[in-house]
Parts: sequence; structure tokens; C-alpha cells
Amino acid sequence: MSLFLIVALPFLGAVFPALLIRAGRNACAWSAGVTSALAFVGLMINLPAVLRGEAVTARLDWLPWLGLNANFFLDGLGFLFAALILGIGLLIILYARFYLSREDPMGQFYTYLLLFQGAMVGIVLSDNILLLLVFWELTSLSSFLLIGYWKHLPEGRQGARMALAVTGSGGLAMIAGMLILGHIVGSYDLSVILQNKELIQASPLYLPALILILLGCFTKSAQFPFHFWLPHAMAAPTPVSAYLHSATMVKAGLFLLARMWPVLAGTPEWFYIVATTGLITMLLGAVIALFKDDLKALLAFSTVSHLGLITMLLGFGTEIAAIAAIFHIINHATFKAALFMSAGIIDHETGTRDIKRLGGLRHLMPVTFTIALIASLSMAGLPPLNGFLSKEMMLEETVHTVWGHSHLLVPGLALLAALFSAAYSFRYIAHVFLGPKRSDYPSPPHDPPVGLWLAPAFLVVLVVTIGLNAQAMVGPLVKVAASAVTGGELPYFKLKLWHGFNTALLMSTVATIGGLILLIMHGGLERVWNAMPRPEAKTIFDTVIGTLTQVSRVITDTLHNGAISRYAMIFVVFTLAIASYAYFTGTMELPTRDVQDAPLLPIVAWFCLISATAMLTFLHRNRQLALVLIGVVGLIVSLSFNFLSAPDLAMTQISVEVVSIILLLLCLNFLPKTTPVDSSLTIRLRDAVIAGVAGVGSAALIYAVMIRDFSFPTISEFHLANSYKGGGGTNVVNVILVDFRGFDTFGEIIVLGIAALVIFALTEAVLASNVRAYLLNRKPEWPQSGDAHPLMMVVVTRVMMPIALMVAAYIFFRGHNLPGGGFIAGLVAAIAFVMQYMASGFTWAAERQRIFYHGVIGSGVLIAAATGMGAWFNGLPFLTSAFGYVHLTPLKEFELATAALFDLGVFLAVLGAVMLALESLSRFAWQPGMVTEHAMDINPKRDDPPDPNTDQPASEGEA
Amino acid sequence: MAFAAELLISFFLIVSGIFGFVGSFGLLKLSDPMSRMHAPTKATTLGVGGVLIASILHSVFVDHHLSLHELLITLFLFLTAPVSAHFIAKWHIHRHETPASLPDAGEDGVWATHDIEDDEDVAEMPR
Repeated sequence: MSLFLIVALPFLGAVFPALLIRAGRNACAWSAGVTSALAFVGLMINLPAVLRGEAVTARLDWLPWLGLNANFFLDGLGFLFAALILGIGLLIILYARFYLSREDPMGQFYTYLLLFQGAMVGIVLSDNILLLLVFWELTSLSSFLLIGYWKHLPEGRQGARMALAVTGSGGLAMIAGMLILGHIVGSYDLSVILQNKELIQASPLYLPALILILLGCFTKSAQFPFHFWLPHAMAAPTPVSAYLHSATMVKAGLFLLARMWPVLAGTPEWFYIVATTGLITMLLGAVIALFKDDLKALLAFSTVSHLGLITMLLGFGTEIAAIAAIFHIINHATFKAALFMSAGIIDHETGTRDIKRLGGLRHLMPVTFTIALIASLSMAGLPPLNGFLSKEMMLEETVHTVWGHSHLLVPGLALLAALFSAAYSFRYIAHVFLGPKRSDYPSPPHDPPVGLWLAPAFLVVLVVTIGLNAQAMVGPLVKVAASAVTGGELPYFKLKLWHGFNTALLMSTVATIGGLILLIMHGGLERVWNAMPRPEAKTIFDTVIGTLTQVSRVITDTLHNGAISRYAMIFVVFTLAIASYAYFTGTMELPTRDVQDAPLLPIVAWFCLISATAMLTFLHRNRQLALVLIGVVGLIVSLSFNFLSAPDLAMTQISVEVVSIILLLLCLNFLPKTTPVDSSLTIRLRDAVIAGVAGVGSAALIYAVMIRDFSFPTISEFHLANSYKGGGGTNVVNVILVDFRGFDTFGEIIVLGIAALVIFALTEAVLASNVRAYLLNRKPEWPQSGDAHPLMMVVVTRVMMPIALMVAAYIFFRGHNLPGGGFIAGLVAAIAFVMQYMASGFTWAAERQRIFYHGVIGSGVLIAAATGMGAWFNGLPFLTSAFGYVHLTPLKEFELATAALFDLGVFLAVLGAVMLALESLSRFAWQPGMVTEHAMDINPKRDDPPDPNTDQPASEGEA
Repeated sequence: MAFAAELLISFFLIVSGIFGFVGSFGLLKLSDPMSRMHAPTKATTLGVGGVLIASILHSVFVDHHLSLHELLITLFLFLTAPVSAHFIAKWHIHRHETPASLPDAGEDGVWATHDIEDDEDVAEMPR
């Protein structure tokens, strides 16, 4: 199966659980399971090739200019991780089906889980580091959703936020590191990067890149000092913990360490940073785990400890250590997933995860006991289980490791960690299952249904069989994976139980016996531990986040305190400063153009413009008057566009002007009619000076630009030359909009549609709140006039409607060759409709509205998209336009262009967006009783004609 | 012929100029809004009308083709000018007149603009 499909399957399948939850919880779980199983089978098909040592690849150039390609490759390492992700994913899906209760939204759970699974598979199969980063961030986001799945629990939300903050910021550091790495090598393809060890390690940027990438890995893999998020993520449902913290999320950091091993490892920096961090994490996690009473917290810290172990092994930088790391990744995934599931079972069946309240469960829950016993003995590293083998290999490696000048430091600390590890593993058995039966369990314990214990039981079988027969079970896989890590030939190795009497066996024995002694002494040690002052990670984290929030709040509030004048002042002053800097440090060419003569007409227009603006400055407090003056400014701007031979702009400007004046009038309905004076004279003088300087500066800049030629040739020549040849239209402006820059336009109409929908959604939200009561009881500031819908206006607008629509159609059809086009036509049509609202009243117009504006927007965007996609059928890129000439007998020859269809999409989107926005705002003004009986209904055929003597139209006006 | 045509075109231009001037002058000179409303009507009807007739004649006699776009302009003016005038008048009645200060409205009893339901909560009208 193609690697694309393996990566895409979980994402595609994520839709089904969300939909199929309506068909029941089983259908939902099955759909998730089948998706995972398909991807798993697809992966397994590639197993023979991987075992032969080949790398399966799938390549697709996505954005080659950025170096971002959708390239995937599957080698031993990728295969191992993908198999763990998909295989354990399947078991988790089974387990979660029985774990989640009826109240939990199961569809959401499986959708999140599959999204997460897809992102993880994407990480391990990516052959492009930029693509890998995309998937990396996706895992942070989807794990956020999973950890915070129980939204009603504050711990869940806080844990999810903390995980996102830590792993997300680590991800940011890693982006920088990866970019540096790509910069050094000159390629973002992993397979290329992995060939360039000497180049990278010789680069002066090696250390920054290493540190940044390690930050990403360490945050993700919960290495000290970033380990604190992992225990807090335990607020998630147990299937999530089992999945994220045994096989996937936290292993992503290890995967990347292993992936980058060939090029980053082998230097002293790598050894001291990675191995030391791993060693500290391993020891710290093991010690804390022993003193945790919450089953899942114990397992969380033990996970931290084991992740530290693997990190340390990768940090050693030797081939055998890499083999041990890979082997331990497999072993840890199997026993830890089983342990998490058993903890979930205990929680599910006894109602508590507190070790202090448990004990004596071995007779009550024999199946769970067996599973937990085997898994924790493997975690403790007892033969003949798989944990024993990899721990032996680890201890053996530490013996050969020299830290600084000390031969004993690493093995000593590793032994201590192993000792604590054995102790907490024994405690998991002794304090939960052994001991006398108790009478005070929160609910009577019993073994769960088979669905709940099947998945961990399967894993435990693996634990035993891998332990007994490691070489046959996983030997070849470990070999190909480890050779992918080391990027070369491996020394001979064989995974086996019995290595003879050696130092590692001695250390293991010491660790086991020491672990038992620690367990016996646990009560006393715990008192000492609890009496010791310990830094509480969550408090520190909260303080840091709180301080950061405070600082950003202070900065934001200083720059942007809600008064737009403050914000504008900072913006303008800053721009002025930059502009003055540019002016005083740069050079200016001599003018190359002559100043043109000003005819009389432009001078008159200029005078009107200046007067209107000046009056606006002084009279702006009267808002209605300000609106009139703004209208004057807009009209003169459109006239000047026309004068400067830009009829398209003039038409657009004038229709936009009309629509925006109507919009402002509508808003004025709810605002005070005058602007209060709320700043002192000094402040206003200061603002006047700033505004004056900025205005004079802009004018000088524009003048300077206009009397010089451009330094670079403009692209206008290209547009003028290719408009007819390439786009089939003589109106260059329209061809630019629908053809040259059609993709921009497509994006813009989508944005426009979204903006209108947001206005609608806000209106809905506001009208659903208690603001509605205020609006309904609102009294107009001034008395309203009678006769809100005067006869003359109503008749005229109804007469004008078809004419205006015809004008819109005319403007639309001529648009490709003459001034006009879909955008202007859409505005004109919108004005035609708005006139009806204004003249005949909102209710009257709304009653006659057959098509909802949402649909108009949507169909516009869809038509534009479909037109763009049509080009694909001709093997051309999206939005390539085609045109041709048609001759129908009674008509003259005319042109048909796909650009016109695209323009139709623009037309509909603009029409729908304007109408939806205006309609939403008008709905704020609706009040009971404002519906006039007959709203100047001049239809004489009306069933109940108004009695001229008694029918008095109601009074309130609108818009 | 050409001279006669030019004479005719000039005549309409002058007529339009005079009425345009009269309209603007009246807008300045007359004192109260209701009277002032009358002045621009001359400018919009006779003033603009003169220019439009001159334009039609120009296209017929000078460019030798018939242009009727101007009729559309006239149509739109005839549609829009009364509505604007009507709204200005309505605004004046609403803000500056009381039922008592206006002539009798006949069988309707009160002019439409003043035909509002009593509502004590409405604020006093600012003058």
C-alpha cells in the first residue's frame, strides 16, 4: 500500500466515528478500528521489503520552492514506530470501547484518536523535515484535544493546556533548529540530511541547531526539566494515557533523537547533553514514582524514568547502545501500555486509583492481577520477561561509559535508578494486589468484561514471548531499525536471556534485592519524603505562565488600551519615526518627470475635497453631518478615478460608497448622535500636531514618488500585453481580477463570505443574550416621524428595482471587455435589494425573500471553485481560464469565457455578503409593533384594502 | 444649417446655465427650508434638462447619430429628485413644525409625518 495512503487513512477515517456515533457506539468503534486495521495491514505489506533493508519511498512535490515536499519513506526505524502506533492504536480502540461510559461522547474520542494517530504516523514516515514539523505540531494539537477530552474536569483542561504549552513551545524551538539544519545542508529532505554528517558537525551552527532540536525532543519526551507536564496529562481518560504515554506521543521525541542520530550523535556535546539529561530524568522519575499514591501518577513518573533511560542510551552514541534503545522502546511500549490499561481497569472496577485505599485485590480480580503482575515484573526487569533483556543491555552499556573522568558515575546512578524502578514496580503489585482484603473499597471489585482485559492480556503475552524468545520474535526488526538509526553496519549482536555471569547480571541482582528492601522500608521512607521540601512543578509553571500573561497584558494595555486614538497615535508615530530614519539616511534621486498643468475642473474638485475634509475635522462631532461629508469625499474620489481614466475603480468606489453610507446610517441608529469630547485640549493639540506632521509627510512622499519614474519596471506592461491574448478580455482590470490574480480573488470572496457569516453569527449570539431585552425596550433618542414608508419612496424603489437589476446584469456581462464586472454588479444588485428594505421596511422585504443569503454566498464560492477546478479536466492548473467565440444565427458573434462563470461566483458572493451583513445589522433594530399592517402595500388586489379613515400606519421607522 | 444648429444648441446651453444659476442663487438667497426647496428644482429640471437637450442635438447635428442616453438620465432625475425633495420636506415638518403650525390636513386630520402614536417615554425633541 502506498505510504501516502497509510498516512492519509487515519485522517480520512477520522470522519467516520464522528458520523457513525449516530448508528451506535459499536459502529463508531468499528469504524475507527477498521481504519486503523487497514492502515496496519497496509504497513505490514511493506514488511518484507523493510526486512530486506530497503527503504520504501513515496514522493510528491508540494511546494518545491520552499523545499517543502510531501515525501515519505519507510525504513526499519519508521516501520517499527508505525507498527507500534497502529498496532497499539488498535488495542486502544478496543479497550476504549469498553472503558468509556455512556456519558462520554465516543464519536469525538475516536475522531481525536485517529487524528492523533495520523499525525504520529506522519511524523515517523516523513522524509521531509518541514513536513515532519507540520505533523509534529499536529500531534501537539490533537494530543491537546485528547488530554482535555473530559472537558468538565478542571484537571483535564489544565493538564491539556500545560501539555500544549510545553510541547508547543518545544515544537517552536525545534522549527528553528530544523530550519538551521536545512540551511546547513541546503536541503530539507531527511534522506539528504542524513548523508551529511561531516558537513553538519563541522558547521558553526551545529551547536545551536542541536540545542534547539533537543529542546523539541526533550519537551515532547518529557525529559528533565520538562518532565512535569506528563503526570498532569494523566487527567485524561486512561486509554489516552495508555496510548500517548506508552507508545506514541512521548516516543516522538525519542524517534527524532534516533532519526537524527546518524548526523547529530557522536560528538561530546551530544553525549553530555543527551546522556546526562537522560540519566537525570531516569533517576528522578524513578525516585518520584516510588512515592506516588495515584496509580496513574506512579506509572506517569515511571514512564518519565524509562524515557530517560532510552534517551540516555541514545546519548551514549555507540551502536550497541542504539540497539538497546530500540529494543527497550518495543519492550516499554508493550509492558507500559498493559500497565496503564490495568490501572484503568482497577480505577474502573474499584472506583479509586489511590494505592492507599487499595490492596488485597489478587483474589477479587485474578485476571487483572495476572496481567499487572507480569507487566510490572517486566518493568522491574526480572527474567524471563522482555524488560529484563533490555535492562541488562542498558546496564552493560553503562559499565563501559565514562562521564568526565569518572568510570563509576554513570553505572552507579543507573544502578540506583534501576533499584528504584524495581521498588516501584514491586510496590504496584504489593500494595494493590497483595495484603489482606479490605472492606472499604469505593465499589466492590471484580474482574472486568473480556473486552476490557483482552487488549492488555495480548500485550502481556507479547511481554512473555519476547522475553523467552527475543531473537526470533523481534530480532530482525530490531536489527533493521537499529541499522536505520546508526545509518550503517551493526556489530554482531544476539538478543538472548542468558549472557553468563557478568557485571550487568550482578547489577540486576543488586537492583532487585535493593528494590525489595526499599519496598519493605517504604513506610518510613515515605514519611521522610513527605517531610522534605520539594519544588512543585505545577506551581512554578503556573507562576511562570501567570507572569508571562501579566507582562503581555501590560504591553498590550499600554499599546492598545481600547481607545483607537491611542493605538493610532502609536502606529502613526512609529511610522513617522521609520520614515524619518529612511529619509535622513537614504538618498533621493533627482526628479525625472515634469509637474503637469492642473486644468480648472480638477482644481474645483480638489477644492471640494479639501473643504469637505476640513469641515469634517471641525464638525465631526455631529455624526449625521459627518456622514454627509464623508459621502462628499467618496463622490469626489470616484470622480477623480474617472478623471484619471480608471472607470472600473470609479464604479467600484461609487457603489461601495453607497453601501457603506447605508451601513453607517444603520449603525448610527444605535449610536449617540454626537461624539462627546473626552480628551483634554492638550491631548487634542498633541494629536493634531502628530496628524499634521504625518499628513504633510505623506503628501511630500506622494509628491516625491509622482515626479519620479519607478526604479523597477512595473508589471502593468505584462498585464496590458497579455490581457487579451491570455485572458480573452480587453478590460485589463477585470482580467486581472478573474484571471491573472484569480486565486487572490477566490480567496477574497471566501474571506468576504466568512466576514458576513461572522456578522450573522455575532448578531445571533447577541440577540440570544440578554442584550435582546435591552434592544426590545430601547426608546429612540429622538422622537420618530410618522409615515415611515412614504408612498413616493416605496413606488419609486419598486419601479427602480428591475431597472437596477438590469443595470447590474449589463455591468456584469460587459465586464470582461469594458468597465464593469462581477464585483461592481454584485454591489449594484445589493443596492437594488437594500432599497426595498429601506423603502418598504425590513419585515415587508424579509417576507418576500425566497433564497437565504447564506446560500447565495455559498453558491458563489462553490461556482467559483467549480470553475477553477474545471481547468483540471483539461490538465491545466487550478483557475486557468479558457475562452472561445460562439456564433448563433440571430445574434452577433459573442465570446464565452470561463472567467465569466468565475465572475458569476464573485457576483453571488459579493451580493450575498453585503445583504447578509446589512440584514444582520438591521435585525438589531427590530422591535415589536413596528410591523405596519400594510407597509405601504400598494397592491390594489389586496384582500383587505385599508380603510382610508381608520388605517393608520404605525410609527416607528427603521434604517 | 450648421450655424442654425449651433445656435439652437447654444440656446439650450444658455437656458440651462441661467436656470442653474437661478437655482443656486435661490438656494443661497431664500430664507426658510420650505422655500429653499423650490430653488434647486429649477436647476434639476430646466437646468439639467437644457444640457441634456443640447447634448442630444449635438450628437444629431455634429456627430450625426442619434443618442438617447440622455433620456435615461432624465428618467432617473424625474424619479429621484421628487423623492429627495419629499424627504427634505418630511424632515422639516418632523423637526421644525407642529400640527398647529401647518395648514389643515383635511379629512386625514393630521399630516402623515405627524401621525405618531403617543409615547410618553420618548425624550423631548431637541430644537
